[in-house]
Amino acid sequence: MEFYPAAGVVLTKERLEKTESFLRAMGLRYEGGADYTVQLVSEYGEILGNGCLCGNILKYIAVSPALQGEGAALTIVSELVSEAFRRGVTKLFLFTKAGNEMLFRGAGFYTVVSTNEVCFMENSRGGFDRWISSIERREGVKAAAVMNCNPFTKGHRYLIENAAKQADSLYVFVVSEDRSVFSFEDRMSMVKEGVSDIENVVVCPSGDYMISYATFPTYFMKEGADAETANARLDLALFARKIAPALGITKRFVGTEPYCGVTRNYNELMKELLPKEGIEVIELERYGGVSASLVRAAMKKKDILTLSRLVPESTLRVIRERYM
Amino acid sequence: MEIKKTGVAGTMESSDIIVRIEPKNTEGVELTLESAVMQQYGRQIEKVIRETLEGLGVTSAYVNAVDKGALDCTVAARTLAAAYRAAESKDYVWNGGSIR
Repeated sequence: MEFYPAAGVVLTKERLEKTESFLRAMGLRYEGGADYTVQLVSEYGEILGNGCLCGNILKYIAVSPALQGEGAALTIVSELVSEAFRRGVTKLFLFTKAGNEMLFRGAGFYTVVSTNEVCFMENSRGGFDRWISSIERREGVKAAAVMNCNPFTKGHRYLIENAAKQADSLYVFVVSEDRSVFSFEDRMSMVKEGVSDIENVVVCPSGDYMISYATFPTYFMKEGADAETANARLDLALFARKIAPALGITKRFVGTEPYCGVTRNYNELMKELLPKEGIEVIELERYGGVSASLVRAAMKKKDILTLSRLVPESTLRVIRERYM
Repeated sequence: MEIKKTGVAGTMESSDIIVRIEPKNTEGVELTLESAVMQQYGRQIEKVIRETLEGLGVTSAYVNAVDKGALDCTVAARTLAAAYRAAESKDYVWNGGSIR
């Protein structure tokens, strides 16, 4: 079947509707975020293939069954990779169904980790190894906690303090993805300052390999809870099979989650899956009604009194300097 | 030649090769190659890339190449272009590679 590649497609309202329905037919859900779109179209303008670049992630890649086996997917990937490089984005990631690994291998992508459902790939062999080897190594019993800290509260402090007592060293991974109210740089320095008196804590960025936008594309696969579960499984597989063994982590700490459904679902899965891989999951009770969302609400009202009850001095300073 | 940033040249079209060169903290050229004709020409492609980089005096770099059946001259040309871009250099000596 003849097809014509169209690069840099502008997703106007009409075009977007067509794209969404094409993706839906291919079992994918469009959730926005496309910076650059490549499509393959028939001579009648019908969409036969699609792929988007969203930051450093190749997403929404699908090819109509009528074109499969003609290198059509490679054309899309090649176009997206070239555009990413033109934009100066060279570390690229993608998610695909487990069966499509070989196709992307031919486009220079290597598997970081895969589950029965999803495969997570990056465009440099050994990219993960280079990241993990940059993290400080510690002796003894090692534990980990992954946190966004948007911003760092007394609740985070409480969790870290208690977790640190139950291990020789505690790795605190701060989510690197810059999609929160507080910038990654500020979140990182708030955590570092907030726990500087606890000696056995190592604060490091989560990089591209933990609950990042990269490891949590809720768009992936069919609608609803299944997709979320598949993503959470992938994230946990990455932690259990790659990150924890490399650093010798045997415990993972997490705070109880009364508010957010996605996080609660994730925590439940964590308790189910990590022990099977030899990692103990310890859920710590939340520190009396403190949450980062309450902090952000108090910021809006400029309620300093409430803020000083919720966050440590160091965080309050950052809020007053840059976020109020 | 010092590799300062990521440099890329080439495409994934048939008969082409895409070469990406990145800075590395330690000595040595670490090459990963993916090729449609790996079993037949994998070693030859690797040889051309390495010789081209040697000719330029690149001694420390990560090199990632995805080949779709490029001829030696193409492999050398793409490697040269990627290296010059990665070194932010425009002092081109196009016969500096392995193809003379």
